[in-house]
Amino acid sequence: MTAAPTLSVRIREIEPLGASLKRFALEPAHGGELPTPAPGAHILLTLRDGGRVMKNAYSLVSPAAARDRYEIIVRRVAQSRGGSAFLHQQAREGDVIDIGYPVNLFPLQAKARKHLLIGGGIGITPLLSHLHLLKARGLKFEMHQLCAPEEAGVFEALLAPYGEAGEILVHGTGRARFDLAGILARQPLGTHVYTCGPRTLMEAVATTASALGWPAGKIHKESFGENSGGLPFKAMLARSGIEVEVGETQSLLEAVEAAGIDAPCLCRGGACGECKVSVLEGEVEHRDDFLSAEEKASQGAIMLCVSRARGARLVLDL
Amino acid sequence: MTDQGIKSRPRYQPLEIDPAGRHHLLVVPSEDVPSDAVAEGFAPSAFEVWTVVRKSALPPSAITEEAAGTVRAFRSPAHLFSALEERLARETMGLRLYAVGPEDFLWDVYGVGEKAGLSPQEMRFTHSGTKARRIFCVHCRAVTEKVTTSIVTCSGCGASLFVRDHFSRRLSAFMGVQVDAEAPGDVPAAEELYA
Repeated sequence: MTAAPTLSVRIREIEPLGASLKRFALEPAHGGELPTPAPGAHILLTLRDGGRVMKNAYSLVSPAAARDRYEIIVRRVAQSRGGSAFLHQQAREGDVIDIGYPVNLFPLQAKARKHLLIGGGIGITPLLSHLHLLKARGLKFEMHQLCAPEEAGVFEALLAPYGEAGEILVHGTGRARFDLAGILARQPLGTHVYTCGPRTLMEAVATTASALGWPAGKIHKESFGENSGGLPFKAMLARSGIEVEVGETQSLLEAVEAAGIDAPCLCRGGACGECKVSVLEGEVEHRDDFLSAEEKASQGAIMLCVSRARGARLVLDL
Repeated sequence: MTDQGIKSRPRYQPLEIDPAGRHHLLVVPSEDVPSDAVAEGFAPSAFEVWTVVRKSALPPSAITEEAAGTVRAFRSPAHLFSALEERLARETMGLRLYAVGPEDFLWDVYGVGEKAGLSPQEMRFTHSGTKARRIFCVHCRAVTEKVTTSIVTCSGCGASLFVRDHFSRRLSAFMGVQVDAEAPGDVPAAEELYA
């Protein structure tokens, strides 16, 4: 359970950044100031579309020092489960929505001698808040942003305030032309790498860095989940005594929430561990970054937000 | 008295290579790697080794050679430490730093490594040789070297210090606390414990 209460914010401004990207500025609905978020933090938005309630997590891209507003950038995804489509099509300036307090699972490391940031697509967002701090404190960094060719201009504009040439590079030419191993191999001692983007990119960063001798403690990933859906299945909630149907494009957490169960959650991306629930029966297809390999193999628990059933049915201690 | 049950007291394992590393640099404050400190299957050829010969006339060594299997000799620990700082400043990720020797040497190496950005995951230390302690006086902050007894006179303020097991990795020293603070002059006899 997220213990923190929610904050009420008003959408002050909606700014289109590209074909499928919009920046939202949120201000306190009742005046005052918002809590100071740490660089790398995200917030959970609760969106209400008629009777339907959607919860989406977005990284803050505004500077931590700016307490009059929070800014997020939202990509309209083709197979939206509702949240991003709602924000793109229905949200209007002046609307009031509820957000959770900022939570940070992706902090900058104080002991790092250099910070290497690798973003893929919309994974740029938490890195933008890192850049504010790195630039403000004059810390050593290097940023690589991978993206589709048509979006290179958008990302270059977002990154323009933070770097001189050489410190920040936008790669609009695809993964094949991106020399990940070369970049990781030439980093000085004391470098920490931070990556956010598609799971395949983050895994490539982690495995390539490990193979080059980077210790696990210097590799940081921010995952916002593999919410690509999957086969439908049924989840029996043993304690509540109800059975929920999980649809193809729906997550287990969303299905549980739709059934009126107030399930624990925080990041909704398989990273924080908050939504861990014991599995009593059935096999889990694990998609999170929280459980260890042994825990995954033992099939004793599931992360509701991203993982699914491998078969037709799961029985959960919920 | 030899184990005061204090958790900050470092524990050591026999020297073993960390296979996750890409390059391995081993430093020792002696002419050779102490054979009693290494794990079974230890292969010195996997390491670049830096030694201290404690002689002003150094045998020639290829200082430009920075590869596994090479040995480079230094005239003193201070000489080695200054070269180590310079070396780590231009190293890339993937290096593992190892040290074998007395405790003050190990944690001086740790300090140099940490300053260069190495995390504890990237360093391995094995204790070998004397158990003599470097003592940091918590009252005057003076350091007293090569202490082998349970009670020692502080080199800075002259206080009779009780030698605790409480170890500071940052200072690379054990703590010394005035033993007769409550009852001035009541100083127990010093025992020889850390030879």
